[in-house]
Amino acid sequence: MEKQETMTIEQSLDVITRMINEAKGKVQRNAFYFLLWGWVVVIANVGVYILSENGYQHPEMIWAITIPAWMVSLWRMYSKRSSPEASTHLGRLSGWIWLGYGISLAVLIAFGSRINYQLNPVVLLMTAIPTFATGAILRFRPLVAGAMTFWVLGIVCFIVSKEMQPLINAGAFVGGYLLPGYLLKNKKDE
Amino acid sequence: MFKDLDPLLHSQLRLAVMSLLLSLEKADFTFIKEKTQSTAGNLSIQLDKLSEAGYITIEKTFKGKKPLTTCRITKKGIKAFEEYVNNLKQYIQR
Repeated sequence: MEKQETMTIEQSLDVITRMINEAKGKVQRNAFYFLLWGWVVVIANVGVYILSENGYQHPEMIWAITIPAWMVSLWRMYSKRSSPEASTHLGRLSGWIWLGYGISLAVLIAFGSRINYQLNPVVLLMTAIPTFATGAILRFRPLVAGAMTFWVLGIVCFIVSKEMQPLINAGAFVGGYLLPGYLLKNKKDE
Repeated sequence: MFKDLDPLLHSQLRLAVMSLLLSLEKADFTFIKEKTQSTAGNLSIQLDKLSEAGYITIEKTFKGKKPLTTCRITKKGIKAFEEYVNNLKQYIQR
């Protein structure tokens, strides 16, 4: 593309179309966070269930495994912040949606005692939103299906006993994060 | 023939850069070079022209020890691009 001479209208339109198509596929498909947080939340929930069943006083302590997960996530976000060779408006929008979700989640956890720590159904319903949005942005149906899993199991979580909720939660993150996460990763590797 | 068309945009490489940046939030020099299949020297000259016209902004930073040039389209650039496309449409309709 070295020519600087006058182009015909057809050539102009061709250049515009070609470049817009080149940019189209640039929304970053990143399975890393879905897999990391999928596993962390599943392990924590299954852990809470097993510890509760075995009579431990504070099974919720297992949630401390999210601390290293946060550190890994923040380190990765920091180290990758300037690395994308090109970023899209939709990619940035997706980032803002997840940030908004993170803020709401932090507030919910901080004030969990106010709702007697009945967080599970609310977390699932909230998690459906950014998952759904990312699925729509990436045009990746397994993530949209994952969001629906969160909605459906969020409703189930309201119905079942508090003791069963961690298992429903774990199932929701398997269907909502891990399955779509692995499908996204494999799609990327193709 | 194309007297209404912005001469700054009516050039293959500059038009390609603008079309690419229009769809992206930002893009670095290497990415633009690869997608437009241009040489570094020529691309650098054309980017400077677009930047001088206020159509794009160029930010020069470092990624580790490597220099990183990041380009973004400006509002003025978007407006110019839209006008260019509208003028193209008029030529097609004639």
